[in-house]
Amino acid sequence: MTKTFTPARPIWCAGCGDFGVLQALVGSLEELKIPPHERFVTAGIGCSGSLQNNLSCYGYHTLHGRVLPTVTGAKLANPELTVVGVGGDGDGYAIGGGHLMHAFKRNPGVTYIVMNNGTYGLTKGQASPTAPTGYQDNLEEDLDPVMLGLSIPGSTFIARAYSGQPAQLARLTTEALKHTRAGKGMSYLEVLSPCVTYNDTYRDWRTSVYDVDSEEGYDPENRTQAFTRMQELRDEGRLPLGLIFRSDRAALESLSLNHDYPAPALQDITKPDLSGVCNDALQSFIK
Amino acid sequence: MSDVKPVLEDLNVIVAGQGGDGSLTVVNVLADVLRGGGLRVYTERDVLSRIKGGITAATLRAYDGERLCISSHIDLLVAFDQLAVPKYAFRLNSQSIVIYDSSNGELPEGHGLPEGVRLIPVPLSRYAVKHFRRDIYKNSISFAVIGRLIGLQDDEMEKAFVKRFTRRGAQAVKYNLEALAVGCKLSDEAGLEVGKGKFEITSQDAKPHMLITGNEACAFGFAVAGGRVFCGYPITPSTDVMEWLVKWLPKFGGVVKQAEDELSAINMCIGSALTGTRTMTATCGPGIALMQEGIGQLGMAEVPVMIVDAQRSGPSTGMPTKPEQSDINLLCYGGAGDFPRVVIAPGTPEECFWLTITGCNVMEKYQVPVFMCLDQGLSQNTATMDPLDLAGVTIDRGDRLDAEQVAELEVYKRYLFTESGASPFAAPGTPGGMGLVTGNEHDEFGLVSVDPINRNRQMEKRQGKMESMKPELPKAVTHGVETADIAFIGVGMCYGVILEAMDILSSKGIHTQYHQVRTLWPMLDETPAFTQRCPNTFVVEYNYQAQLKKLIHSHGGNDENMHSILRYDGVPMQAKDLVNEVITKLNLKEDKVA
Repeated sequence: MTKTFTPARPIWCAGCGDFGVLQALVGSLEELKIPPHERFVTAGIGCSGSLQNNLSCYGYHTLHGRVLPTVTGAKLANPELTVVGVGGDGDGYAIGGGHLMHAFKRNPGVTYIVMNNGTYGLTKGQASPTAPTGYQDNLEEDLDPVMLGLSIPGSTFIARAYSGQPAQLARLTTEALKHTRAGKGMSYLEVLSPCVTYNDTYRDWRTSVYDVDSEEGYDPENRTQAFTRMQELRDEGRLPLGLIFRSDRAALESLSLNHDYPAPALQDITKPDLSGVCNDALQSFIK
Repeated sequence: MSDVKPVLEDLNVIVAGQGGDGSLTVVNVLADVLRGGGLRVYTERDVLSRIKGGITAATLRAYDGERLCISSHIDLLVAFDQLAVPKYAFRLNSQSIVIYDSSNGELPEGHGLPEGVRLIPVPLSRYAVKHFRRDIYKNSISFAVIGRLIGLQDDEMEKAFVKRFTRRGAQAVKYNLEALAVGCKLSDEAGLEVGKGKFEITSQDAKPHMLITGNEACAFGFAVAGGRVFCGYPITPSTDVMEWLVKWLPKFGGVVKQAEDELSAINMCIGSALTGTRTMTATCGPGIALMQEGIGQLGMAEVPVMIVDAQRSGPSTGMPTKPEQSDINLLCYGGAGDFPRVVIAPGTPEECFWLTITGCNVMEKYQVPVFMCLDQGLSQNTATMDPLDLAGVTIDRGDRLDAEQVAELEVYKRYLFTESGASPFAAPGTPGGMGLVTGNEHDEFGLVSVDPINRNRQMEKRQGKMESMKPELPKAVTHGVETADIAFIGVGMCYGVILEAMDILSSKGIHTQYHQVRTLWPMLDETPAFTQRCPNTFVVEYNYQAQLKKLIHSHGGNDENMHSILRYDGVPMQAKDLVNEVITKLNLKEDKVA
């Protein structure tokens, strides 16, 4: 067996919520029997941006905020990979926030996990887009990315978990991977993942989370109801968890690629089809 | 009138009007007819950054030989809007002819035309509205007048119309042919009967030619070179690269994705390239600026992506539809930190094709970003060229490892130290080759590291690629008299105008040469050495700061021997401008010049 990199030990603070996310992701990848070489794990910048170093995979550390464009490009080029993007709330909702709505709209076959702790831990605790009013003198209303996702017609899988509730986190991570692997497009999983050093929210979140999975009558396939319920729970000061919304729609790559060919990454391009398509293109400049 | 007419050897036509008047269509159809007759054609556009309105123009040169620029002599101006006449009057001479729309009356005084210009008023718009109730048919009516004037046969024009308008449907063909007939009748009334054309149009060299722009040639080269993913964001004047690929890349098994902005575009490209797919984007200065962080990532993380820069007038939003070559600094020096990159500067559409293929090979072999440095003129002007011989295409993907090759290794390291600086690459999906890619400084496995010894070695590994790749980069081409002590240096759209200036100078007994540099970064030793050797080197460029000249100087070029010819007004140079500069600068005798 060829030796390759040995997954590093996480560099997170003891008690960081991100440990839970790593454990859930590794568990789900194993459960679904996805071999390391088929995993393409991409992480953003921030504490969560080192997760790809901690499991066996093909890993890529993106520029700050660019997880979603990167995984979209990778999935279009090679849909046979299991493409997972991870990052923090600053990465995904602030510097990379512009990409989020387009990713929902495009629905590429990727799993996107955001570890939301409401703060910029790596730069010592500034307010992030999801920080509540008052945190570090934050004057702004916090962003609700789940409701943003629900408001975009193309979104197909929206869930939220809490790293303090590992069983649900594990189940939703597996569900997210399954949704994407079934060709239905982007699965978005936000994980409430406390920063024990700069924004220790374990105690607050333990009491404010609310599980829609166990709510009788909650229908995750009804976008309108989901949106209304999210607004109600927000008004009550609750943090909804669970599979919030799911729908069926073909993934971007299956709509975009020419299926007469293997995936772009898997074609042998060393011998161009000179008498076929190359010549057709050439002739188009002559006629 | 005598039956002996001059053979058409060099025809230069400006068709101008309001944006949306169809000037470009007239020029395109005319180009098509004339190249069918064996002439080579070159077309240029002078447009504004708006969909309709404003005075815009399309210019055509038909030449019995290769010319990649418009001549200083304009034979014919067609003006759909009378305001176009004063705008382009300075380009006409006493032999020129002006066809203008006289629907609203005769051309008023103050048009600025040189004495002797022949005026042909034709009520184009009035007839278009009268016959078709639509003003837009005036360009098809005008075509008949132009064709009769220069000596085209009516049936040639009809054939060209059928060819041009068929893709727009049978109705379009029918009405445009009727418009052509209206135009022929108007021509008869204006004394331009069949057979009274100005020129004899012969068909000596009727072998097929390609008609292509630099943007299209880059896109075509990319597809043939095995490029399979293109991600971009529309921006003038680069957009035609994406447009061509949208149409063709799926037929090659590839895909085009239009991103939400340039930040996304370059990062989509990174994602695609990480899977081992040949990947391209195209943009211009403002887009390069937005992509800059991603371009640094390509250099640091060692990811190959090709970036076409169709340079336009800057700074900032500048003049979006006008040419400039002012991104040279940005391409060669832009970005945070030190990283390797390649900047290739083709001079013709043919070079755009071949050098895109070379660039694709170099980028994968050395895992670096490669820029194709074009400009609005080279990107968007159309030129004829001999059909490409695709048998010359070779693909080199560098040291890529498949599962079996990985299995034979004791250890796989994504950033293995090697002599060339490039490390063998196993694409994601390859069993056993798992690796980490990052824009942080990293060890050979790709794990983040700030160890100073490792840092030095990794930096030297990356920078070392620049030296390793030099033998594979496009070398300069010398045109003209190799021993001449007057020379030109210039890239992109300077190519055609320099070659014509050299011919004019040569006809005056002044011999010159053209050192056509084709790799700007890393600069090859040949160019600074050339400026040491040649005492009078004119560096022609479209920018204010003499970016190319300074680049050569900073690599050891002789500043005393180099003279700048700079242009930054957004207007393409003419050969006579260069000729005058050379003569004035070198104080050459006037009698040689006359």
